[in-house]
Order: sequence, then C-alpha cells, then structure tokens
Amino acid sequence: MSTISIDQVEKTIDITCDTVIRNEKYFSDLDGLAGDGDFGTSLATGFKVIKKELPEIDKSAVGAMLLKISMICSKHVGGSSGPIWGTGFMRAGMVAKGLEELTYQNLVDMLGSAIEGIVARGGAQRGDKTLLDALWPIHDKMQEMDGSDLGAVLAAITAEADKAIDETRTLVAHRGRASQVGQRSADTPDPGIVGIATILYDWCKAYGVDYSPNAKELNR
Amino acid sequence: MKKFVNDPENFVPDFMAGIAAANPDLLEAIPEHQLIKRRNVDASKVAIVQGSGSGHEPAHVMAVGPGMLTAACQGPVFAAPPVDACYETIKSVATDAGVLVLVNNYQGDRMAWDMATELAEAEGIKVKQFHINDDVAVQDSLYTVGRRGVAGNFFVMKACGAASENGASLDEVLAIAEKVNNNVRTMGVALTSCIPPAKGDPIFEIGDDEMEVGVGIHGEPGRERAKITSADEITETLYEAVQTDLPFESGDRVALMINGLGGTPPAELYVIYNKAAQLAAETGLTVARNYVGEYCTSLEMAGASLTMLKLDDELEKLLAAPAETATRIF
Repeated sequence: MSTISIDQVEKTIDITCDTVIRNEKYFSDLDGLAGDGDFGTSLATGFKVIKKELPEIDKSAVGAMLLKISMICSKHVGGSSGPIWGTGFMRAGMVAKGLEELTYQNLVDMLGSAIEGIVARGGAQRGDKTLLDALWPIHDKMQEMDGSDLGAVLAAITAEADKAIDETRTLVAHRGRASQVGQRSADTPDPGIVGIATILYDWCKAYGVDYSPNAKELNR
Repeated sequence: MKKFVNDPENFVPDFMAGIAAANPDLLEAIPEHQLIKRRNVDASKVAIVQGSGSGHEPAHVMAVGPGMLTAACQGPVFAAPPVDACYETIKSVATDAGVLVLVNNYQGDRMAWDMATELAEAEGIKVKQFHINDDVAVQDSLYTVGRRGVAGNFFVMKACGAASENGASLDEVLAIAEKVNNNVRTMGVALTSCIPPAKGDPIFEIGDDEMEVGVGIHGEPGRERAKITSADEITETLYEAVQTDLPFESGDRVALMINGLGGTPPAELYVIYNKAAQLAAETGLTVARNYVGEYCTSLEMAGASLTMLKLDDELEKLLAAPAETATRIF
C-alpha cells in the first residue's frame, strides 16, 4: 500500500492555508448569520502565519511539523477556534510523532485522536452542530475503507462533509457562540462544517479527484 | 492615559526584563517564552508553576522564588499566555518529582494549560493540574464556567511551595492545593476601572459615586453596581459574603488578607483591615495570620478584595515557612 510522504503532508497543509485565506470573508459572513462573525478572520489570521512559516518549520517528522502548526493555531487563531484547531493538530501530531511517512492507518488514527481531543476540549456531542458533525462521519467512512485508493477515500470523505452541511443545516446550535442565539441558528449552515467541506473539496481539485458537490455552499 | 510605557506592545517584555534585572541571583527570564524561573531548580522537589494574563502583578511572575513558584509565564495584559509559553514553562522546570500546574479558573487560561499539560505528558513529563476558584461573587462570569480564581491563589502558591520545599510528593502537594482551595474564599470591590497599555481606554465605565461589588480581576461585572458607602460598610459587605460562604465559624483559626487591586494606597487597605479584624473577632474567629498589601491586582484599579482561609496546623505551618520572591520590603 502506498504511504504519504512528509512532502505531501506539507503540500496539503499549504493547500489548506490557501483555502482558509481565500475564504476569510465568506466564512466570517456565514458565521455572522448566527455567531459573532469572526470565524473566517480568526482562522485566516492563524493560517496566514502557518503559510508564512511552513517552509521553515521543523520537518524531521510529521509529528514535529504538526505540533508546530498546533502551536501557531493556539497562538494566532482567535476565539474558541484556536484551542479547537490547535488541539486537533496537536493530537494528530502526537500520533505521528517520529514518523517520516504515514500509512493509511496512521491517518485514520490521527483523525480519531484529533476528534477525541476536540471533544475533550470543547465538550460537543453529535448533533450539536459543530465541525465534529463533519469529522465523525469522515472518520467512520475512513475506518470502513481500506485506503488502497487514496483518491477514492478523498472523494468519499468529501461527500460525507458535503452531506453534513445539509444534514445539520436545520439544527439549532448547542455549542459555541451560535448556541446563544437559539432558533436563529436554525436554517444557517455551521461555518466549521462548511470549512471542513470546503477544504476537502479543494484537496479534490488540487489532486485531480473528481467530485460534484451538492450543498450550495460548495457550489459558489 | 498617563503611564510609564515605552511601546505598549513591549510593556510585558519590558517589565519582565526588569524583574529579572532586579533579581539576578534568584531568577532567570526566558523572554521568547514570556517566562521567569528560579535559577536553582532542585530536581528532587515538585516544581510549582502558574501563569495567566499580565496585569495582576505580583501574581504570578513576581511570585517565583524559593518556597513559592518554581516558574511562571505571562500572556499579554488580561489575556491567557499562549500554549507554547505554558508548555515551555512546564518543560523548563520539569523535575523527577513532577510539576504541579496551578491555574486560576478562567476559560482562556484553562484551555492553554490543558493543551500544554497534555503536550508535556506526551513528552513523558510527570505533571498534574489544579484549578483555583476562590471568588464567591458570582457562580459563572464573562470568562468562566464556575467560580473565578482570584487573590486566594496566593495561599495555594504559598502552601504548595512550602510543601514542595519540605520534600512532599506530587500527590501530596496536589492534596495541599485542594485543601487550601476548599477552605479559602474571596470577594472584591472596585472603585475605578483600569487601562491596559495596549488598549489605551478604561476596560469599563464606572461613575464617580459608584462601586462594582464582587468585581473580577479583569473588571468583569460582579454582584451589583452600587452607590459608594463608607469603608466600614463596604468591608461589612465583603466580609459577610466571604464569611457566610464557607462558612467560617466561631472557634476557627483563619488567615485574613486585604488585597489591594493596584490603585488603592496601603493606608486605605489598613482602614479595611481594621474593620475586617473587628468583624472576625465578633464571629469568634482567631486571625492567626494577616496579610495587607498587593497580592493579585488589576493594573491601577482602585479597589480591594477580602480573602479568608480556614487554617489547620498543617496549613498554618506551611504559611509560616520562609519564602523569597521578586517583591521584597527589606
């Protein structure tokens, strides 16, 4: 089975930075519908630093690189997104400690550990309308697949995130700032879930994986 | 705004450099991680660390020294230190005996220290965390779920620092932290607001004839905005809130602290102490130790807090043990 090199991880993070930076205003506007409208800016502020520092970051192992990114997130991403994304990268980095390349199983374990950490940090549960409602089905799907075709995995998990946008659209948020506006959060998509889906869809485009999105937030 | 500030962005590094310069034999500053640590860390003893936003001095970087904290880091004024600073602080003093992280209960501080503790554990460092929540004013607040950690943190640091010097294990020091926190209560009052140098404006508005009863150490609202009354009446309000909360009962031996919030002169603090000591005597308490001065401040805010700690023989000995910090009178 093919493995994922540290260069590929770096390239994918760089693509992610571009996605987050390009969507700064859009993510903030989405957040403004029910939250405090800072999600896009908070995230982009941190990912601009990641983009800038990425070439110089310690790349002796995937773990070291992700831990450094975690530190940048927790320092430069504002609001509650900082500790949430920082914890995700930190937990993934701990699983990848010392690894110079990743197997598919490593990836599955990294995501599993990141999810556990984010749950512990923020206390969200299924259906609370947070980015975890995208990450859980993605992790489930990855566990079902054998990873022999990474392109197929990417298409399948992008579909899960895409589906999560519409499935959670009408839910009332129970966590984060959006939880304080109650019913106003119904009928607006969660910006964290849209963020995950947008990142994955951009990975598809960058790696030449065919995917036709359903949610209107991905068909802009 | 009139302040002794160069570039407001450099306010925190500037004062930290000053602390290190004034205590070259005792302390070492590591500016890139906004931390101050003791020069001679004994590997056989539990290291005690703390860290929060700046603006509360002498908590916490000025509370580093033998018998107190082993290291502390600072965030910007009133903002939690970043995770990497917290992690480096733990790492810089990681001993075989372990590290106890004391965190005043504020969301931002807790998240930063949670991540740092997790990272340190993954590195094989023996570390435990304890949350201090002594403020009786409000149950939840602007920046907390649960009660806030305020001036009572001094007693936790002092008792844990002394226990560590006595060679107590990590679990034993943690048990001391729990005991102090379970028996310490605080409430504060603000007469004025304060101005973080980088912000340049007061953090809240308050009228000339008003006071904020139960104020937090970042100016967060407390129980009520009231018309200012006499010192004795204000002291009664603070004392009653603190005394009835634990409650402190006739026959108890206590430590009584009147803490200035930064802009109140010592003489006024003694006016408050005088009344508080009378009230304690009326309740039948014996004030075995007293503390009047600045321990946990909010920049130049005029105001004070009243803290009481119920003592037993063990805590009384730990509080009486010698200690040395960056702040000295002699």
